[in-house]
Amino acid sequence: MSSGRLRAVMGAIAPSAVLLAIAILGLLFDTYWQYVFAISITAAVIGSALAMLVGYARCITIATGAMLAVGAYGATIPIVHGSMPFLAAVAAATILGACAGWVLAVPGVRFRSHNLAMITLVFQAVVIIVLRESKTLTGGAEGMHVPPPVILGISFEKDADFLLLSAALYALAVVPMTVLLAGAFGKNLRALASNENAARAFGIDVRNHLIAAFTFSSALIAFAGAVSAPRFRIIDPDSYGIFTSIFTLAYPIIGGMGSIWGGLAGGGILRLIPELLRPLADYIELIFCVLVVATLTFFPDGLASAFWRGTTRRHRVKPGASFTARAIELAPMAELFAATQALGAAAPGRRGGDPILAVERASKSYGALRAVDDVSLTVQPCSLHGLMGPNGAGKTTLFNIVSGFVAADSGNVRMSGTLLDRIPLEARIGLGMTRTFQHAAVFERLSCLDNVIIGLGRNGIAQGIVRSVGQAFANADSRSERRAAQAALAAVGLGVRKDELAGALPLGDQRRLEIARAIVSRPRIILLDEPVSGVSVEEARRLRELLLAINGQLGIAMVVIEHNIGFLSSLCQRISVMSQGRILAEDDAASIIADPRVRHVYFGEQEAAA
Amino acid sequence: MIVVGGLKFGAIYSLAALGIVVIYKATRIVNFAHGAFVLAGAYATYGIVEGLNIGYWPAYVLVPIAAGLLAAAVEFGILRPIRQADMFALITSTIFIGIGLSEVYRLVQNTEMLGVRNPLPGPPIFIGDVIITKEQIWVLVGAIISALIGVAIFGYAPIGRGLRAMAANARGAALCGYSNDGMNAMAWFLGGALAGLAGIFAAPSKGISPELAISMITAGFVAAVIGGIDSLRGALFGGLILGVAETFAAAYVSSAMKNAVSFLLLFVVLLWRSEGLFPEAKIRDV
Amino acid sequence: MIKEHIAHRRTVLKAGAALAATGIFGLRSGPSLAQAVPGVTDSEVLIGALGQLTGPFAFIGAPGRDNMQMAVEKLNDAGGINGRKLRLLFEHASTPAESVAAAKKLVENDKVFVLVIASGSTGAAAAADYVRSAQIPTYNTVGATPIIREPFSRNVFHGTIPPASVTGQAMIDIGFQAVPSASKIGVLAGTYAFPQSHLAEIKSRLEKRGGVEVVIEQFDAAASDFTAQLVSFARRRVQLVLILGSFTEAGFAIKQAPEKGLTDVHYVLDGSAVNNAIISIIGAENTKNVWGYFNAPYFPTQDDPPIASYRRELVQKYGTLPQGRPNIYDLIGYGSTYILAQVLKKTGRDLTWPRLIEAWETLHDAKPSDMGGYDVIFPETVTATDHQGNKKVASARIINGSWKVVGLAS
Repeated sequence: MSSGRLRAVMGAIAPSAVLLAIAILGLLFDTYWQYVFAISITAAVIGSALAMLVGYARCITIATGAMLAVGAYGATIPIVHGSMPFLAAVAAATILGACAGWVLAVPGVRFRSHNLAMITLVFQAVVIIVLRESKTLTGGAEGMHVPPPVILGISFEKDADFLLLSAALYALAVVPMTVLLAGAFGKNLRALASNENAARAFGIDVRNHLIAAFTFSSALIAFAGAVSAPRFRIIDPDSYGIFTSIFTLAYPIIGGMGSIWGGLAGGGILRLIPELLRPLADYIELIFCVLVVATLTFFPDGLASAFWRGTTRRHRVKPGASFTARAIELAPMAELFAATQALGAAAPGRRGGDPILAVERASKSYGALRAVDDVSLTVQPCSLHGLMGPNGAGKTTLFNIVSGFVAADSGNVRMSGTLLDRIPLEARIGLGMTRTFQHAAVFERLSCLDNVIIGLGRNGIAQGIVRSVGQAFANADSRSERRAAQAALAAVGLGVRKDELAGALPLGDQRRLEIARAIVSRPRIILLDEPVSGVSVEEARRLRELLLAINGQLGIAMVVIEHNIGFLSSLCQRISVMSQGRILAEDDAASIIADPRVRHVYFGEQEAAA
Repeated sequence: MIVVGGLKFGAIYSLAALGIVVIYKATRIVNFAHGAFVLAGAYATYGIVEGLNIGYWPAYVLVPIAAGLLAAAVEFGILRPIRQADMFALITSTIFIGIGLSEVYRLVQNTEMLGVRNPLPGPPIFIGDVIITKEQIWVLVGAIISALIGVAIFGYAPIGRGLRAMAANARGAALCGYSNDGMNAMAWFLGGALAGLAGIFAAPSKGISPELAISMITAGFVAAVIGGIDSLRGALFGGLILGVAETFAAAYVSSAMKNAVSFLLLFVVLLWRSEGLFPEAKIRDV
Repeated sequence: MIKEHIAHRRTVLKAGAALAATGIFGLRSGPSLAQAVPGVTDSEVLIGALGQLTGPFAFIGAPGRDNMQMAVEKLNDAGGINGRKLRLLFEHASTPAESVAAAKKLVENDKVFVLVIASGSTGAAAAADYVRSAQIPTYNTVGATPIIREPFSRNVFHGTIPPASVTGQAMIDIGFQAVPSASKIGVLAGTYAFPQSHLAEIKSRLEKRGGVEVVIEQFDAAASDFTAQLVSFARRRVQLVLILGSFTEAGFAIKQAPEKGLTDVHYVLDGSAVNNAIISIIGAENTKNVWGYFNAPYFPTQDDPPIASYRRELVQKYGTLPQGRPNIYDLIGYGSTYILAQVLKKTGRDLTWPRLIEAWETLHDAKPSDMGGYDVIFPETVTATDHQGNKKVASARIINGSWKVVGLAS
């Protein structure tokens, strides 16, 4: 096994190894501590599940208690009433948990933040009410007695036995979660939490991803509930109430929001605290609350992350270094070409043939405001087309219509002849359309490399899962992705910064990053929204060279919105000018500058009296 | 008769919801700690009425002020530093602040549940077939009047204008001379005061315990969302609707359904009209 | 490269934290060579106890702890038991998870000699389940639900609070004391554990008795609006209402009853509602017909000598107590400790589990005053087949704005 592959696989099983190590460590202590360790690793597993939902996807969920209950009762009821074997019951409970997560998510993910929190609260309350009312099945408020686990005739009553059993089960269950979180699926979740619009533009279906996150998360939580239930001897609805949900929320928040380790550490350590601080039992809940609020205030990424950041040596780049002085290199372009070939990209565009983009009489009104009024625009393949106009002219709205963020009230948009109106926003990257945004919409919490990998657009749920598994083995596909992304970064001059967080970059570099992200999938056309606004003249010049090179080497057409007339005229062959929602004029650059209507709109010039 | 009982609780929920909406409209923060402010009001009521034994009237004046100050202190001390953070951090903070505050009260009082006397004891009034107690009328009328005063302040008083300006455009308001920090604190004060009032009215009928915080925050939220979290009028009606619906459910279905009903209502409203039943004008970000 | 670095560091941190924590706390509690019997040294007997110190049932656990501590100190001041002082370790426990953890810590880690369960809910049931396998002598002082008592286990003894079957019957008896000719009885029960076990008992006993129409209504824990249930009782014209719930729940129900049309009714409350705090909720004018059963011979605010002296001592140690205290759990915590001390004394200097159990089973009419305490609880008698220490139930009424015990239920 190559060293890269070995490292990847070790990374995938590291959390499991730690759980097992802790369990084995527990054997050195007395039965009380073995019990406590068992509880602690259960909490660690819950934390890891919440790392996905709360840490990565940034969803506030107050339904964790209910999911634990689904798992605990979901396993115990078949065992007690149906004599189902333990492992089968745990499996059934896990599936039930997944279904519960799905049922909660499907209506729930329409909403974000507080409304989503309310929906999870509804779910939590309803589950507890149902459990309390179904007395014959669940024993109601008095609870239900849980027998010790029995596997193949062996009863796991002793604390040591149970600790090892649960550690083994958890070690297995945590592997898929680790793989998903470390892999493409996890990156996609963090991307959509970072910037939803950009995520959708690159093929991440937000709704489906959140539903998947809820489903996987709930399944693992239910699993933990099912495995830990026998330890408590009696399960009752009140043990899984709203306070449980709220306190488990603290696990990823304090432990660390950016990785599975944060969830594991947060859960494991926080759950130990009530046992370690028994003399302070009265004050425990208050201490917790203070800890959480303090962490949110001072260490928004969790205590663990603060610790890592302080100690991990990062490749330090001095801010303001003339990094961007690097000339555009052609070699990376060829490298990009080769790498994306391996991933199956299409051949570069050729001039001639159908227009790559044709907007026919598109209109969009917001109430009384006609943002886009009967606009038609044609872009030839491999060409550079500018779009100009004063603020409020409707340029970005037009872009939004073309890229799929907004549906036109009337009119058509076609790409190489294909009508786009039925094609959802997330699918447009598959057709070969990418874009950049007016306010640099990079995924701030991801590294530059990860930003660009997402730009490849292979971001369906199933794809994401498959890629995550592949990445755990560092397979050929994942390596090609990295190569392509590295090439794209090198092409825009950001090769050295590939491991830096996108949010730490200065604005100019962020714009370059956006471009790298937009080109890596070798699209047919890129929509660039004000790519040089806010950057220096020198940087604008370099970006112009870059865009020309991209266009020339890779045959990608571009539509560029800009205010900088000099920039546009030196870059684009044709320029359209919009004003008040309409196309005022469209011509080649020189003619546009001379056009009196354009000059009137921009400079207020009146035609000199003849 | 059931309707009157429902309206009484509904009026209390309206007050709680109103406080939540005021804070939301002004600062865009959904305050999950609101139940703790209501609880503060309830505990303060106990302290004044039973502890100091000076009757209810001083309570109606002092408690809103105390609760308002508490809320402003929370905003100033804890939320201001993280105001720049994203919604997730803010909302989660309020959740834990709420629980933390409940714990503080519990530790200070050293007891789980307190009872406070009826503000208007006496035999009930009979109107035909219907039996109403004086306390019910008092709570209903008092809570609604307080709510209307709150709406009036927000809508018409100079302070209210400032709050609405800040909500619409923080920078613009700052340029016009409104202090952003001051307005934020003011909004929380107002919201807290409303919560305190809800606490005074709720204390005799619901008992004073940390459970009150949870039940008021859920009811307040559901009411606020039903009415449209952006709408003061909505909060008023949402609370009343919720109170009546809950009581009817308890009366005709079962008491377990009472809790379920509020959630069901929330669920239905969110799915059907997520802006609530009384949406305000919407500004779209294009 | 960095990922590996980080993973390694994280591993170290987590393992390190776990190690450090357990190193400090775990290893110090290794086996102490001098002890052959857990919890017993030449100079000391270790008593473990668990109960709810926070949460909705803290009014049970906190008084338990305060009073057990006070009694232990008084007993130690008087010379201890057979030359040994008593030491109390009280752990918080409410949910089953916490209760098992607390019990395990006390038994396996701290190695107490005897365990007191001063908690009444599902947590207590979980702890009881545990002690049955651990075999440590256990004193259940406040748990009435059947799950704690079944199956019978020789190491588990029950104290002041009798099983729900006894208190349920007591409520019925008190009801007929209040309204001898009652023919329509309403029962208002909470849906949580304790009231439900009472409900089951009362229902079956009333059915067996015959001749009465029974209307059953239920409510959720911490409910505060009883419109539906009260309206139902009013419609059926019940003459007597048995309320199975806490003092707040019962309080609101009684308070709201007149406005729902339920007037001229007698109420019988279960022991946990017999608390002076209920009076401010229902209003002093509504207290005429309110009865309840009580598990001790005096209500804590009465002026009779034993209870008044006890109260003086309690206030002397703890200062003014919050509203509603001392309550029954204060009395039980105090009295049970003296009973336990008597059992320890009876066992003699040679303390082992089998000898303790044997001595316990010979307990006859044991009173706190036998060991120098005040008789604030009923005497306890135990046999080899019947481990229920007290079976007496008192009846109480609100008289002149305060509860008073007026006699025995039956």
